[in-house]
Amino acid sequence: MLKYLGLGAIFCLLCLASLLLGAKQFSLAQLWQSDPVAWLTLTSSRLPRLMALLLTGAGLAVCGVLMQQMLQNRFADPGTTGAIDAAKLGILLAMVLLPGAAVTVIMLVALLCCLASCLFFILLINKLQLRHRQLLPILGLMYGSVLSAIAELYAYQQQLLQSMQGLLLGDFSKVIAGQYELIYLILPLVLCSYWFAHHFTLLGMGQQLAGSLGLRYQQLVWLGLLLVATMVASSLMTVGAIPFVGLVIPQLVARHCGDHLAQSLPKIALSGAAFLISCDLLSRLLLYPYEIPIGLTASCVGALLLLSFLRTPA
Amino acid sequence: MNKSWQLVFCGLLSVLLALTYLLFDSGLDTEFILPNRLVKLLAMLTGGIAIACSTLCFQTITENRILTPAIMGYESVYLLWQALLVLLFGLNSPLLQDLQLNFVCSTLVLLGYSLLLQRWLFSRSLQDVWQMLWYGLVFSLVGSSLTQFFQYSSSPAEFSLLSQYSLASFQRAELNQTLFSALLTLLVASFIWRQRHQLDLLQLGALQAATLGVNRALLLRRQLALIAILVAISTSLLGPTAFFGILIANLSATFSRSQSHRHRLPLAALCAVLLFLLAQLLVEHLFNFKTSVGLLLQLCCGGYFFMFLIKHRQTS
Amino acid sequence: MISVQGLTKRYGNRQVLQDLNVDFASGKLTALIGPNGAGKSSLLMCLARLLTADSGQILLSGQDIQAFSLPDYAKQVATLCQFQALQLQLKVGELVAFGRFPHSQGRLQRSDHLAIAQALDLLGLTPLQNAVLHELSGGQRQLAFMAMVVAQQTPYLLLDEPLNNLDLKHAVQLMQVLCHLRDQQQKTVIVVLHDLNMAANYADQVVAMQQGCIRHAGDVGQVMTATTLSELYQLPIQVLHTELGRFCHYFNQPEKLYAC
Repeated sequence: MLKYLGLGAIFCLLCLASLLLGAKQFSLAQLWQSDPVAWLTLTSSRLPRLMALLLTGAGLAVCGVLMQQMLQNRFADPGTTGAIDAAKLGILLAMVLLPGAAVTVIMLVALLCCLASCLFFILLINKLQLRHRQLLPILGLMYGSVLSAIAELYAYQQQLLQSMQGLLLGDFSKVIAGQYELIYLILPLVLCSYWFAHHFTLLGMGQQLAGSLGLRYQQLVWLGLLLVATMVASSLMTVGAIPFVGLVIPQLVARHCGDHLAQSLPKIALSGAAFLISCDLLSRLLLYPYEIPIGLTASCVGALLLLSFLRTPA
Repeated sequence: MNKSWQLVFCGLLSVLLALTYLLFDSGLDTEFILPNRLVKLLAMLTGGIAIACSTLCFQTITENRILTPAIMGYESVYLLWQALLVLLFGLNSPLLQDLQLNFVCSTLVLLGYSLLLQRWLFSRSLQDVWQMLWYGLVFSLVGSSLTQFFQYSSSPAEFSLLSQYSLASFQRAELNQTLFSALLTLLVASFIWRQRHQLDLLQLGALQAATLGVNRALLLRRQLALIAILVAISTSLLGPTAFFGILIANLSATFSRSQSHRHRLPLAALCAVLLFLLAQLLVEHLFNFKTSVGLLLQLCCGGYFFMFLIKHRQTS
Repeated sequence: MISVQGLTKRYGNRQVLQDLNVDFASGKLTALIGPNGAGKSSLLMCLARLLTADSGQILLSGQDIQAFSLPDYAKQVATLCQFQALQLQLKVGELVAFGRFPHSQGRLQRSDHLAIAQALDLLGLTPLQNAVLHELSGGQRQLAFMAMVVAQQTPYLLLDEPLNNLDLKHAVQLMQVLCHLRDQQQKTVIVVLHDLNMAANYADQVVAMQQGCIRHAGDVGQVMTATTLSELYQLPIQVLHTELGRFCHYFNQPEKLYAC
């Protein structure tokens, strides 16, 4: 009980730090005195940023664990199965083919691309019946790099390559009130995943076992894919691609809390959020007042975490 | 098909395709088109041999058919180094303009990375091949994030230089660099060829090979250094070829009648050259340059690999 | 002769070899026996220079084995390790040719081809020399590896549990080949064996180990007695002498071993 209180306190402190830190300095005293500048910074930049961090972190971590259950493989996450690359391709297609389209339309196209790609990948993996589990990330990366190459070639021809890279590099400084609301989609989706936590846990045990326990396998996979695709598309559009979150966080949490999603899903979501907030603080503090894009910080920190628990066997 | 006949057949086919590439639709223009194509042909040969040798040897010393130098992060390190050079010294620095100098310091960086890898390949048993794969993948992913960041924060001119490095293509090859690379590749390949018997013995496992007098530590160190040089050559000449190495290694293993490096090395080199020639011919004449060689190769590798896995999957 | 002096090895807090002192006589077949975890394989690996001991030394014909270079040692000592099943696409002939590597570094001369042919002939593998390894039975595959070690033509042979997974006929065949090598070519053979009866009937000398120590070393008749074996294996064992040889009987125990 005490452990949870302690962790909760740390989490609140992180959120507070995230609200107060930044290029434009203000103090709690100023807020208390209703300083308009301070409040503006808070409401238009800091608070949205915090919400985006929380939701993206939670969303990506939950995407990771859902993909791991659907593919029955610990190494699956949106980055290693081509989901992020497919969504990128979708965004690019929408930008080129439907210029001037609304943000929601672009997101819809990205979502559909992501969904189609993940479905294809799952069917392929099921057909392949890999003997070595660790082959999956290689295949996923190969598949993702093909999609990425197609996107890059297309962007190159349309002279959009550098701006596309910029758009899609994970960066929370873009988050301003009025342009980030899409991310709130993640909240109901995470809650929905929690509602079906028990089902997804059984899904992770394989089609045959799940079927013999009366689970509707196909429908559940469709649901999972829809959840993942939507979360990936909305986070990609709002903040860009952030690797490693879905890969590292579920593994870390599973070591401490086991694999049953009903218990571990809330912890996964909160850990993902905490991870991203910490990375964000790091990116803002290291080169103060300049900011390192979070995609970079998350890669490095995530890579270190991943490597450190590859060294210690489960 | 008999072993030697296979090599002869592949050799003849390569010569045929090479001649087609050189002469078809060229108007026999010896002023511009033919010399240009000759240089590109040389680049394809050099790159093909470099990739085939480096991947095959890497797979032998790691006793595994999935890992390649590209997957272990060599190419990411190379690209990262180029991006770092642009960031720290700018476009006009001699480190970027003088191709020989660039090549030499890139090779040194890759040799350093090899040393790191070797320390680690050595301290762990090769049963942990999958762990190694993870390390390689993680380095590649971090490397590509860093590279993306550098690319994004560079000026458009710098960006176009860097993006040239990140797509595989034969168009970049210029005469001096290609000649230098070709000579170096031949030299390195001959060193590898001399060690072919020791590489064969590694199939028996590290312990049994040691009882037959193979000094695994020394062999690994030498091979990794040679592989680093070959990867530097192929990446600087052609760009990152990523999964192409796996395709070549597995194709040659499937078609080769024997496991000995005496047959597999030449066969793999010939396969690589053939595929390059085919891809370039298709891009030039069928697709009219609307796509790139790099993309075509990646699609083929991906497709082949999936088919390979489907064919060899467990039937349950 | 191989002389082991004060050999010690530990893994973490487990003492695998405790101050071993033993001599392996030349031109004899010595069997290393003992229960699991006795350290037999570790001792053999130290003799093969595949494992470095923490302290002590091993002398080969009076010279410290660490003083030999790796290729030179391979010309003196051939070791057959416990082989892990890999997908080897090698022909039998090619595998046996590997055994000539210490002498010719891969460039086979006439003398090498002769040695290979002799090894194949000895193991009865000449008709199978173009067969691919993974198409053979486990027994034939082990004989192929044996042929490789024979082709290495070294005065000392070390074998780590060569009879695992062999059927009766191939096991006997292998032991007969070892005896032939000892008699006709005066080789010194050291074998780690689990099968007591094989040791009792084919070995000249026996070294019995238990928990990293050498309990008994000497002639087979001296070491393989009912008392010594029973104490070594913690199991009542009877040794019967028939006209064909010794037989160690440990079946049909009156007491149950599986429940307390």
